[in-house]
Amino acid sequence: MEAGLIMLGGGLAGVVGSLLGLGGGILIVPLLTLGFGLDVRTAVGVSLVCVIITSGAAAGVYLERHVANLRLGMTLELFTALGALAGGLIAFAIDEALIAGLFAVMLVYAAVSMMRRGPTETAPATELPTTHEEPRVEGWSSRLSGEGYEVRRVGTGAVGSVGAGVVSALLGVGGGLVKVPVMHLVMGVPLRVATATSNLMIGITATASASIYLFRGEIDAYFAGTIGIGVFLGATLGSRLAHRVPIAVLRLLFVVVLLYSALQMVLLALERAP
Amino acid sequence: MTGRHEEPRQPTADEATPRIGLDHAIGRLLIFGTYAAVAILTVGVIAMAANGLGPGDPAPAFDPARLGADILALRPDGLLWLGLLAVIATPIGRVVVSLVGYAHRRELSMVAVAAAILGVIALSIILAITLES
Repeated sequence: MEAGLIMLGGGLAGVVGSLLGLGGGILIVPLLTLGFGLDVRTAVGVSLVCVIITSGAAAGVYLERHVANLRLGMTLELFTALGALAGGLIAFAIDEALIAGLFAVMLVYAAVSMMRRGPTETAPATELPTTHEEPRVEGWSSRLSGEGYEVRRVGTGAVGSVGAGVVSALLGVGGGLVKVPVMHLVMGVPLRVATATSNLMIGITATASASIYLFRGEIDAYFAGTIGIGVFLGATLGSRLAHRVPIAVLRLLFVVVLLYSALQMVLLALERAP
Repeated sequence: MTGRHEEPRQPTADEATPRIGLDHAIGRLLIFGTYAAVAILTVGVIAMAANGLGPGDPAPAFDPARLGADILALRPDGLLWLGLLAVIATPIGRVVVSLVGYAHRRELSMVAVAAAILGVIALSIILAITLES
């Protein structure tokens, strides 16, 4: 019975995450901690497995369609992996209540981003490459550029990627809320490419930290297996529903869910504070 | 009219073909790896339920020494861990294939990036094991 509920919850997280371009990770930790009483750190470990699953197939499709930029993704994921390594170690050094509090902050940030039609919205297929005010770039930047756009400020992007990796490892999310704006607004990557490339990077970012959670005994195989299947099915369904669902209504509903979850995570943090 | 249609976006540079080829190969690997991992997890969850187990029961710790025997005996723990390891191994496999692909094309900068990523993953595993023990 409980397995069915967990799979259903994971499925809903997968559907909503897929429709809104967020991945399911942001809903999985609140679901597991608030809904099923799992420890925050274990919920983060399980969530990391889920975000690898949801990003895997989608990233494969993006690569086959030549939307994701492999060179850019690999270069930046070296830094997200370093951040994830640091974040994974930090997660075991700080109190669980602090992780819950940080998660609440991230939920509010995600809600505000969504209300402002921020970086989480997938760009239309017809989007043109961004215009560039910067002078022509050389070296790594030109190697990482794609058809119709030039990548700039690789150093800044690398720093932002380290931050995205830390956030991912600490909170069990894909980190797209950080990576997509960094790539799009800072590095000049078209939104659609940035979203697809961010998706590609999630696998390695989450693997770096999931390995730490795995070997430190913070991945619950029963929860991870059950919710992982649900999230995968939900994300697959969501990608097929994308053109049939009123996204504006869904986004509004999602903002409410995010803010409610943030409040509950704050209460959880206060309850578990030492 | 000859009936011949022009492709609107044919790759023009010589390098476009291998780059697209590598993208395609990695894309296939990611899709196949993810589906295979989820299939194994599904078998594991069915075995878990068939044995009267479920989320909320004391979960087995990851024990590499027992993994082989558990898988061969088709125990739910072994199947679930195999599926979870397949999930984690898929992105790592993607980087390995990228490394080989870029090495084949003599793109040494990307070979170095791929090798460094694998180094970070290895370091995270070593640190986790060291700290746990």
